[in-house]
Amino acid sequence: MQITKTNENNVLTIALEGRLDTLTAPQLDAEIQGKLDGVKSLVFDFKKLDYISSAGLRILLMAQKVMNKQGNMVVKNASSAIKEIFEVTGFCDILTIE
Amino acid sequence: MGFNFRGLAFKQSMMILAAITVVFGLIFGLMSYKTQAMLNKMTIANGEETSRANVNYIDKLFNAGKLVGDDIAATLGKRKMTKAELDEFLFQSLTNARNLVPQIVAVVLAYEPGMGPETPKGEFMRLARYTENEIKLVTGGHYDDKEWYYSTRDGKTSRWQEPFIGEFVPEPIAVYTVPIFQKDKNGEDVLAGVLAIDMSIEFLKDEIGTIPVSNSGYAVITTTKNKAVAYPRSIAQGKRNRDIVVKEIRGNSAVEFERRDSSGLFIGTVAGGEESAVYYTTIHSTNWTFMVVWPIQKYLKDQSSVRKLFLALSLGGYGIILVIILLISFRVAKPLKDLALAARKLGRGNFDVAIPKIKGRDEVAEFAWAFSNMLTELKDNIEKQKDMKRIERELDLARNIQLSMLPGEERDENSDDDRHELAPFLLPAKEVGGDFYDFFKIDNDHLCVVIGDVSGKGVAAALFMMVARIILRTMTKNLKSVVDAFNKTNYALAKRNRLNMFVTVWAGIIDLRTGHIDFASAGHNPPVVRHRDGSAEFIPSKSGIVMAAMENTIYKQQTYDLKPGDMLFLYTDGVTEATNYNNELFGDNRLLETIRKGGELSSADTCALVKKEIDHFVQDVPQFDDITMLAVKFNGIDEPVWERYEKTIDVSNNGKSGELKSFVEDILTPMDGAKKMQMKDAWERYEKIVDVIPENQEILTAFVEGILAPMEGSMKSQMQINIAIDEIYSNIVKFSGATEVTLIVEIRKATMMARLTFIDNGKPYDPIRQADPDISLPIEEREIGGLGIFIVKKTMDSVSYRRNGDKNELAITKTL
Repeated sequence: MQITKTNENNVLTIALEGRLDTLTAPQLDAEIQGKLDGVKSLVFDFKKLDYISSAGLRILLMAQKVMNKQGNMVVKNASSAIKEIFEVTGFCDILTIE
Repeated sequence: MGFNFRGLAFKQSMMILAAITVVFGLIFGLMSYKTQAMLNKMTIANGEETSRANVNYIDKLFNAGKLVGDDIAATLGKRKMTKAELDEFLFQSLTNARNLVPQIVAVVLAYEPGMGPETPKGEFMRLARYTENEIKLVTGGHYDDKEWYYSTRDGKTSRWQEPFIGEFVPEPIAVYTVPIFQKDKNGEDVLAGVLAIDMSIEFLKDEIGTIPVSNSGYAVITTTKNKAVAYPRSIAQGKRNRDIVVKEIRGNSAVEFERRDSSGLFIGTVAGGEESAVYYTTIHSTNWTFMVVWPIQKYLKDQSSVRKLFLALSLGGYGIILVIILLISFRVAKPLKDLALAARKLGRGNFDVAIPKIKGRDEVAEFAWAFSNMLTELKDNIEKQKDMKRIERELDLARNIQLSMLPGEERDENSDDDRHELAPFLLPAKEVGGDFYDFFKIDNDHLCVVIGDVSGKGVAAALFMMVARIILRTMTKNLKSVVDAFNKTNYALAKRNRLNMFVTVWAGIIDLRTGHIDFASAGHNPPVVRHRDGSAEFIPSKSGIVMAAMENTIYKQQTYDLKPGDMLFLYTDGVTEATNYNNELFGDNRLLETIRKGGELSSADTCALVKKEIDHFVQDVPQFDDITMLAVKFNGIDEPVWERYEKTIDVSNNGKSGELKSFVEDILTPMDGAKKMQMKDAWERYEKIVDVIPENQEILTAFVEGILAPMEGSMKSQMQINIAIDEIYSNIVKFSGATEVTLIVEIRKATMMARLTFIDNGKPYDPIRQADPDISLPIEEREIGGLGIFIVKKTMDSVSYRRNGDKNELAITKTL
């Protein structure tokens, strides 16, 4: 999985490519854990993400919890397969999906 | 509100009026008769009173005249007189007579020829006549043929002649004639002549005119021959004397009056005048008749005035009674009409209609009260009906929920495979019942089939059924033994069974590899087995006591072996006890016969056939009990024998998936086309064994993708399978403590199905039994645990777990 981070005016955009699963989730975890200080707005761009497993959902949940305290978080460009996962797991109620 | 001529009021009034009319008519008739009689009596009294004095007076006069005549005749009979002496005598006699009776106007003497003084003609007639205040003596003649003479001479008795106007006395006179007898030489009486006393009757006319008679009446005197001799001048009116005749009306004709009694009353006419009531009395001296006449109109005036009075009174009474009747009738009819109106409104569904309040305690008030009561009751009843409807609806709903919880198709239960074919059938009766069936796989090779029937009906039975079914299902799945499950379920149900309900159950676990059945029966009908050759029989089974009856019942395990092609047919008593019009039961024999008839039919068709036969048997008799069936056909293992090839490849060396491909191709190449087709229809099986380290997830994913890619399923399915591999494998890595994982991939191209079975040697762990995470919680309370397997459950067609020996087996299926 490839992770691309861009930070502009406290808006952190993280674009993911490939699979966000048990194996790759720790990479993303490492990129985010303790690195969201001062971020007002977090954007996940899932345009090139193939799929997401529960391990990935776990990271999104943690990130959302952090961002609820200091700003907002948005998931962008999710594929229908990923949206269905959000749907099935009730994450669509928690995340802001655009 | 117009007057109703067909109404009760009118009818009643009419009937009462008719009755009253009859009564009044009778009274009126009686009164008329009575008044008539009374009036007659009064008339007679009146007539008598008027007549008596006059008749007496007239009698007295005529009697005096008679005495005078008799006296003179006697004197003349004693001695013969000369003409001069006779003149003197006549003169003297008349003078004397007039002193006594002034109405005597002449004394006439006529001798038989030769008996009186000598005359040239031999006859002698001499009379003394009073006229113009003097008495004159006159000689008469030609008397021989006069009636007054010869009638007396021939009759030799004295008599009163009919009045006439005399030859010498030019006024109406009454003539009394007396024969004169003289002694001859021998001393014998010889008729010598006739003496006549002429009495004027002019005085009678005067008298009559002055007799006062009530009611415009008047008096008339008639002679023996019914000639009127005295009458008021008013009735003469230019009529000749002889026309003044009294006639009596008998029936429609008027006949000449003829006296029958000395006095009497009749209806007649006088001188052709108007109809009159006539009272007559005989004047004895002359045998004449004295009559008192009342013109009938005047006479009837009394009667009619009485009648009129009575009629007026009657009509008045009639009117008052009519008014009273109408009032009473309206009093009765009005509230009835109001009630009818209310009833009509009620009929149209207006239950809030006001019932007319009627006071009193009469029948109408009672009726109104009863009607009002009825309305209230009706309202209540309808409310109750509504409640009943609502309850019924809810019961229907309960029934639907209950039925929808029974598994419908094998696919839903994920119990379908090629080794058997199963079909359930349940047709609920109208009332909520307690029939149920169940089927589920305990593991890949063991299918459990259940049929049961809870005692009684209604909600209680339905609830009890659901509980029984769920406990039995859970127990059987866990204990994997029918008798153990029966014992435990029975205990659980019997323990708290205050309503003393019970349930009959037959359950069996079929080993799909061999056809062997372990079964137990709790008071349920023995199932039928249909063999391949078309014969059918009941499975010989010993039934235990019904479930939930006794806490510590121990059920006995029994066995039966199905041969390939056999069909096991379970049913409830709704089938065998279906009843027709003659109260005959469908019965065991008909059931066996039907199933035999079914021959090689599929499970579903067999159930349908039995239902059809039942319908044919019961005709239109309504279904009383649930009809429940469950048929399982055991196909046996007639699938092609699987050939198994195994190859372990090293996937750590990237890009060598070609090895796998060639492995498969090597196996498949020798097969000819037919075999390929067969292969396509059958399951293909691939197996991969890896050590349990996180990184091997990629190997497994690649392995699966390699197998599935040629099938060209949807990307989404592939992705979901990848996620499932991720979740399941990461779980094994994290929690199982296993050292080795075998992944078996089976695909069936005909149905585009894939089955992945993960077998690990870790500690027993059934991820399916973990509670699903609550996905509706707010973010702060969300846990990530269990979400993975939840995703798998949601996205895969089926997920099943079993502990097989010292290994965990988790299988997922997915349509590509």
